[in-house]
Amino acid sequence: MTSPQLEVRKLCKSYDEGRIEALRGVDLTITAGEFLTISGASGSGKSTLLQLLGGLDIPTSGDVLFQNASLGSAVDLDTYRANEVGFIFQAFYLLPTLCALENVQVPMLGLTGNKRQRAERAEALLVEMGLEHRLRQYPNELSAGERQRVAIARALANNPSILLADEPTGNLDSVNSARIMEMLIGIQQKHGMTLVVITHELDIAKAAPRHIRIRDGRIEA
Amino acid sequence: MVSQLSFAGFAWKNLWRRRLRTALTLGGIAMAIGAFVSLVGFSRSFEHEWMRLYSSAGTDMAVSETSFLNTSLDESVGVKLRTIPVVDRASAMIFNLMDLTPEINAIVFGFEADSYELDALTLLSGRRFQTGKPEVLLADVLAKNMSKKVGDALEIQGTTFTVVGVYHGGSALDADAVIMPLDQLQKLSNLQGKVAAFHVRLKPAPAGESQEAYLKQAQTEIEAALPGIHATPAAERASNNQLVGLAHAVAWGTSTIAMMVGILGIVNTMAMSVFERTREIGILRALGWKSWRILLLIQTEAGVLGLVGGVFGICVGWGALRVLSVLPQTASVVSAYVSPLHLLEALGISILSGLVAGAVPAWRGAHLSPVEALRHD
Repeated sequence: MTSPQLEVRKLCKSYDEGRIEALRGVDLTITAGEFLTISGASGSGKSTLLQLLGGLDIPTSGDVLFQNASLGSAVDLDTYRANEVGFIFQAFYLLPTLCALENVQVPMLGLTGNKRQRAERAEALLVEMGLEHRLRQYPNELSAGERQRVAIARALANNPSILLADEPTGNLDSVNSARIMEMLIGIQQKHGMTLVVITHELDIAKAAPRHIRIRDGRIEA
Repeated sequence: MVSQLSFAGFAWKNLWRRRLRTALTLGGIAMAIGAFVSLVGFSRSFEHEWMRLYSSAGTDMAVSETSFLNTSLDESVGVKLRTIPVVDRASAMIFNLMDLTPEINAIVFGFEADSYELDALTLLSGRRFQTGKPEVLLADVLAKNMSKKVGDALEIQGTTFTVVGVYHGGSALDADAVIMPLDQLQKLSNLQGKVAAFHVRLKPAPAGESQEAYLKQAQTEIEAALPGIHATPAAERASNNQLVGLAHAVAWGTSTIAMMVGILGIVNTMAMSVFERTREIGILRALGWKSWRILLLIQTEAGVLGLVGGVFGICVGWGALRVLSVLPQTASVVSAYVSPLHLLEALGISILSGLVAGAVPAWRGAHLSPVEALRHD
C-alpha cells in the first residue's frame, strides 16, 4: 500500500475572528504521484485548502501532514515550500522586473548550485516549456499562455514533489487552457509528481483520476 | 551567454526599476554625505593646517596663560622663558582674523622681527619687516588675490601699512595670511605688552630619550619655572584649541542634521518600495524564500542606496572643499586635503545610514503573511 504524501485531518480555517469559516473539518489523504482535481463554487474554500496544503497559511485547527510530519511544527513551512512544493497561480505572479529566464531562477537563489548552474537549469526548463525563443522577454512582453508556461517552469525550478495549481487556466483561452493542462499532466506523469489542481471547469476536473468537490468548507461525499 | 541572476543583481534591478525615486533618494544622501565630507573635512583641514603651521616652523611647544584665544599673557614672560635650559628659541606671537577688504579676510599674525618662525617662510620678493614700523609681509596667494606687490600700501582697520615683502608659507594658514611686527598688531588690537602665546623650539632631545618623554619633561620644566603658565605640545594645541573645537562642533552638528534628512529619504523610499511590492514579497514567500532572505534583499537595496549615495556625496563634498580652498574668503583656513580615513568614515556612515533607514521597512516586509501579501492589490 502506498503511504500518504499529504494528509489533512479535521482541518478548519476561519477568518475575521471566526465569523467566516472557510473550511469546516476537512479530512483528505493524497498519495505520492497522485493527480487530483478540486472543484467548487466561489468561496467554497477550495483555494484555502490549497494554501494550507502548500504551507502558505496555517490552519485554525486540525493538521496538515507531509509524509506523516505536521506542517508548521515538525516541518518548517518555508523549507517545505522551497523544496517540496511548486505553486502555479491563476494570475501567474511573475516578477515584472525580471525576464523569463531570471523569473525561473528566483526560487533557486540561495538554494541550488551556483549562478551558472541555476541559469542553465532555468533555460532547460523554459526550453521544455517550448519557450526557447522567449528567454529574455519580460512578463509584459509575453502572452498569457507564455506567462503561465514561465510560471510552470518556475514551479519546477527546485524539482518539487508536489505541484499545486490554483485555477491555472482561469486567465487563458480554450486553446491555451488545453495546452497548459496537457503540459501539467505530462509533467506529472514524467516526473511522478503529486499534482493538485483547483478548477471550476468540469472538463478539467474530470480529466483527473480523482476529483473531489468542496461545498461550504466541506468535502462532498 | 545565459542571463545569470544573482542576489545582488536582483536587488539592483529592484532599485533600477524605480529610477526617479532612486535618483531622488541618492541625491538626498549625496547632499547629506557631501555636507559631512565638506564640513567635517573643513574643520579637520583647519586642524591639519594649524599643525602644519607649527611643524613647518619647527615649533615644539606653545606657552600660554590659559586658553588658546586668551591674549592676556604678558610679553615680559619671554625673558624668563628664554633662560630655561630646555628652551632653544621662544617667539612671542599674536594673531587675529581681520577684514582686509569687504570681500577678503585673512589671519593677521604678529611676530617679532627676529622670530625663528619667519625663517620657515620663503621670501619671494622684498625683505622682512622691521620692528616699530607699519610694514607687512603678504602671502603670495593673498598678494595675488588683492593685486598687491612690494611697495604697495595696505589699509588694515584704519592704519596704512607698507607691503615690504611677499612670501610663500608652508601651511594654508600662513600661505594666505598677513604678517606684521608684533608691536604693530598689539597696537592695532589695543593689546600693548600682551601676547597670545610664545612658540617654543626646544633644544634637541638627549640621545636615547624619546621625543614624547622629552616633551613631557620640557613641559614640566617650563610650567615649574613659570607658575600659572601652561606649556602645551604643538600637536595638542593644534587639535585641542577652541577654534578647531568650534569648527568641529559646527561641522558635526550641521552634518548630523543633513544625515537625518538623508535617512528620512531612505526610510521613505524603502517604505514605499515595500508597500508597492507587497504582492511580490508574497510571491517570494510562496516560492519558499525565508523571512531573513526577504529582509536581506530589502536591506541590500537600502545598503546599495547608502553606498552609491555615499560615493556621490564624497565627490560632492570633495568638490566643495576644492572650491573653498581657492575662494579668497576661505582660502586662508581651508586646504583641499581630505584624509582617506575621512572618506572611509563618510562611506561607512552612508552605508550604515542606509541600513538603519531600511531596517523597519525590511522587518515589515519580511514578516508579511504570504497569503495576505498575495492578496494585496
